[in-house]
Amino acid sequence: MQLYLPIAELPLNLFLLLGMGGAIGFISGLFGVGGGFLLTPLLIFVGVPAPVAVATSSVHIAASSVTGSLTYWRRRALDLKLGSVLVAGGLVGTVAGVLFFNQMRKLGHLDLVITLSYVTLLMSVGCLMFVESIGALVEQRKGKPAVLRHAGEHRWYERMPFPMRFHRSKMSTSVIPLIVLGAIIGFIGTVLGIGGGFLVVPALIYLFRVPTSVVVGTSLFQILITMIVATLLHAVISQAVDVLLAMTLVVGGVIGAQFGARTGQALKGEQFRLLLALLILIVGVRFAFDIIGAPQDLYSINATVLDR
Amino acid sequence: MRRSPTTLAGFRRRLAAALGLALLASSIPAQAEDLILALSTREVAITSTYTGAEITVFGLIERDARTIARTGGYDIVAQVQGPTGEVTVQRKGKFGPIWLTDDRQKYAKIPLFFSILSSRPLTTVVDEAVREKLQLGLEFFLPKPDAQPGRRDADDFGFRNALLRLRRDERGLIEDPKSITMIRPNLFTARVVLPATAPTGLYLVNLTVLAEGLPLKTAQAGFVVRKVGFDAFVANAARTEAWGYGLFTVLMAVMMGWMANLVFRRD
Repeated sequence: MQLYLPIAELPLNLFLLLGMGGAIGFISGLFGVGGGFLLTPLLIFVGVPAPVAVATSSVHIAASSVTGSLTYWRRRALDLKLGSVLVAGGLVGTVAGVLFFNQMRKLGHLDLVITLSYVTLLMSVGCLMFVESIGALVEQRKGKPAVLRHAGEHRWYERMPFPMRFHRSKMSTSVIPLIVLGAIIGFIGTVLGIGGGFLVVPALIYLFRVPTSVVVGTSLFQILITMIVATLLHAVISQAVDVLLAMTLVVGGVIGAQFGARTGQALKGEQFRLLLALLILIVGVRFAFDIIGAPQDLYSINATVLDR
Repeated sequence: MRRSPTTLAGFRRRLAAALGLALLASSIPAQAEDLILALSTREVAITSTYTGAEITVFGLIERDARTIARTGGYDIVAQVQGPTGEVTVQRKGKFGPIWLTDDRQKYAKIPLFFSILSSRPLTTVVDEAVREKLQLGLEFFLPKPDAQPGRRDADDFGFRNALLRLRRDERGLIEDPKSITMIRPNLFTARVVLPATAPTGLYLVNLTVLAEGLPLKTAQAGFVVRKVGFDAFVANAARTEAWGYGLFTVLMAVMMGWMANLVFRRD
């Protein structure tokens, strides 16, 4: 059944959209990543114009994070305090990101920025996580307990001014690195149409050694707030949010996210990190292939703008 | 003096030929065919179930008693021109190990939908000069190659060809030599196929009757493609009430996320 999308200006199959939303929602609930880094390219692949794909993904991410964070909240696996600090930084980054996004759209360099950022980020984060989690799994086989955090240990950035205690995350750190982390993620997330969860999750696990279960819930909360702001800004500035496309994706997404969150709770920390690393690497390789492999067609139509 | 029969016959033949020529010469302005068009619809409405449209143009070639006979019959060609816009074509180049966009070319004010309709392959109907006169090709809407100072001809040629090829792939440029059907020697239908991605706006159908490769008469008809009902409401709200539209979208997303949580709650 074809559904005409009023802003994307093309008809797409309703069940295809529901299925896409569901699959990405599952991954989102499972890993605490927004899933936009999969959804945006998928939408572009099925023909949605790039600005609409980026702007509309943020709605889907917001909805699946609502359902995911509520599930984690009820399981006491959401650090509201940590999440709020990240959000504060995220807001700054989001505003900068939307302004940057719009400039890039005018200049037409958006695809280059998107592709290069994707590849660099996904590949480096994915490789680091892959190596670490394999190591942890091997250690565990040998019978040694996998410990990411040693009691009383504080790294240099954790000793910066304005310390704060996060009970639920079982850690204390300076607020400054958390704000900076939030800002970077907000910026990248807005420009690329991704929640930035695939950066938050590893950063909290490795840099701040927050327990994995709490990381996912907290990351989802931070993504939720960031994406609400991003959706509003996209709607006002780029006017590329397609409400019909968004709602179709959201219906699939919230259901998928529920199943994802349940599955996620059953995974061990190391298994979780390995699976996330693999997911990130797969996406990274796919995008790397885009810029390293010889293009099938040297030419492409980058933008089509109707005279008004 | 008696004229030889052969001379008389020759004179008669010359007279007939002269008269014939005079008749032919005087007939051209007075006896040209008239062309009458009617469209199956004047408005294509985009609703939630829109997957493209098909419009039929009915045409009648009107002749009167003085119109001379066309031994080869008529040919019909038409171009359908949609709203204009700007298309940016980019080209990738190799920089070390990676492929990046190294050049781009903007084409402003070109029709974002363009189709050429005929009853048989276009090259068998018109020659290059007539094709250019009737603008049967998107290439006639592109800037002339020399209008791009500082760019090499080869580059320009590459971009122009790529634009035409890519627009064909995207169905923004359609050449259909089987879309005009002659029902009677002077009655025909032209089928205009609009893909779902054809932009909203005004469309102009420019239809020409030809005989022996020469255009006799041209007529125009127009139709409009626009969003109606829910789709028009959404598109309008997104543009004029951006804040409200954004807030509504966010609210819907949050509500749906919350509801899913209630539905799936087991404890």
